[in-house]
Amino acid sequence: MSEQHLPRWLVWAADPEQARRARFLARSPLFVGLPRRLLARLAPRFFEKTYRPGEIVFQEGDPGRALFVVVEGAVEITQATTQGEYVLRTLGPADAFGELALIDDSPRSATARVATPARLLILYKSDFDALMDGNARIAVVVMRNLSRLLAVYARRVPVLAIDPGPPPETPGPP
Amino acid sequence: MKPGRLLAWGGLAALAWLARGLVLPVFLAAMLAYLLSPAVAWADALAIRRSVAVGALYAVLIAVLVVAGFLLGPGLLAETSAVMDRLPGLAQQIDVGLDAAVRELAESAPALRRLLPEGGDWVQRFVLNRGLGEPSDLFEHMGHLFLLAILVPFFSFFLLRDIHRLSAVIMERLPPQHVETSVAVWRELNGIVGRYIRGVALDSLAVGGLAALGLWAARVPYPLLLGAFAGLANVVPFVGPLLSAAAAGLVVVLTPGQGLAGVGRVVLLFLTLKILDDTIIQPFAIGRSVHLHPALLLGSVVVGNHALGVLGMIIAVPVATVLQETARLLLEHRRVLARRDLRRHPGRLVV
Repeated sequence: MSEQHLPRWLVWAADPEQARRARFLARSPLFVGLPRRLLARLAPRFFEKTYRPGEIVFQEGDPGRALFVVVEGAVEITQATTQGEYVLRTLGPADAFGELALIDDSPRSATARVATPARLLILYKSDFDALMDGNARIAVVVMRNLSRLLAVYARRVPVLAIDPGPPPETPGPP
Repeated sequence: MKPGRLLAWGGLAALAWLARGLVLPVFLAAMLAYLLSPAVAWADALAIRRSVAVGALYAVLIAVLVVAGFLLGPGLLAETSAVMDRLPGLAQQIDVGLDAAVRELAESAPALRRLLPEGGDWVQRFVLNRGLGEPSDLFEHMGHLFLLAILVPFFSFFLLRDIHRLSAVIMERLPPQHVETSVAVWRELNGIVGRYIRGVALDSLAVGGLAALGLWAARVPYPLLLGAFAGLANVVPFVGPLLSAAAAGLVVVLTPGQGLAGVGRVVLLFLTLKILDDTIIQPFAIGRSVHLHPALLLGSVVVGNHALGVLGMIIAVPVATVLQETARLLLEHRRVLARRDLRRHPGRLVV
């Protein structure tokens, strides 16, 4: 991937780790459609961390400040209900989660727990914002992919009967 | 605490005390690394190995310094040696002027006589005691500067080359609950500090270059030296621009044939530079993301001067900015966590 950008005489200087990471990111639904040049710019911004089974990546209600991409292993996204914990999804390699943190600082809406030994790529919002400042194309592609993912989530969620709540109090005579 | 851990902490503290002399070079090296990091990030994006990228960057930097030294060095050296040669004479000239002013003041207002300083040759004494000092002091200062000139690029090289490896090791050892808390704050701070330091450097370069050009156009002697001084002094808020304007004004006053018109040109030049800096250069280079309260600005400069002299005055504002931004981000983070705890335990009062 990225080595191909280098002239032949400079191939010896290529960093295989960065090239591997950029190749891997191209498979993630969140980064589909990003040109190789921009994937190569994105790849060094990620941190990598190994997690053990049962470790919590983040908890429901935590401030969201990073996006995670599964490199190896499985991660469960769960939500606490009155009946107990409910597993919403189990994510595998190339799946991304916590992506809403790239949009705002709202608290996490679910908990992410590592199911099998896992390696995750981590992209902090501040690093992503800095990258977007100089590359509008990254912002456009990632936000378009993010909208698609959100549309998929929205269609999956069953239609809920929304309780409109008590009617607003009508002011009485003074 | 376990005895082993206590011993390790004690050993670390002793090591830190022994290596306290390295704090300044490492701090300056970190600043240089922040300045050069965009070039390394650019090489990262091309998937070039860090060692190759940093090595090439240093080669380019050395080449640029050699060319700059070749172009500007002789002029700067000639101006410096001319100033050093003329310094005693200049100091004497200033003292004569000051003596005359003090005498005139004492004659016109005898009541003030008690308040006026005794003796004369103030500037000459200052130049001898503080400026040049004893030859041994001069050699010591030169030795320190030489050591800094070697150590700062050396440490900076390794910081640029290995910081990602160090970060990866720390990240692997970090408990998962810190990944989205402490590291996120550190990443944000890293971005702010990097932008600020690069902005200040760009601002100083622009102000120094424009001052040198303006002084050369205004036919003021020593334009390169005064321009370099204006660029460096520009880092010190309020005081810096005043000092550089005063230095240029003094040179004009003491140069035969310049007269009041020369002083007027210098004042106009530095006023224009200040307005340009405040309205165009600074907003472009630094932006408005970091803002220190004027009282904090001045306070940090005073503390910096007290701790490390001129160097302290130069690095005071970046250090104060880092401290202020760290405090702001940590407080913001604490507030977010407090809101989360309040949501999880609505009955509990979270302070």
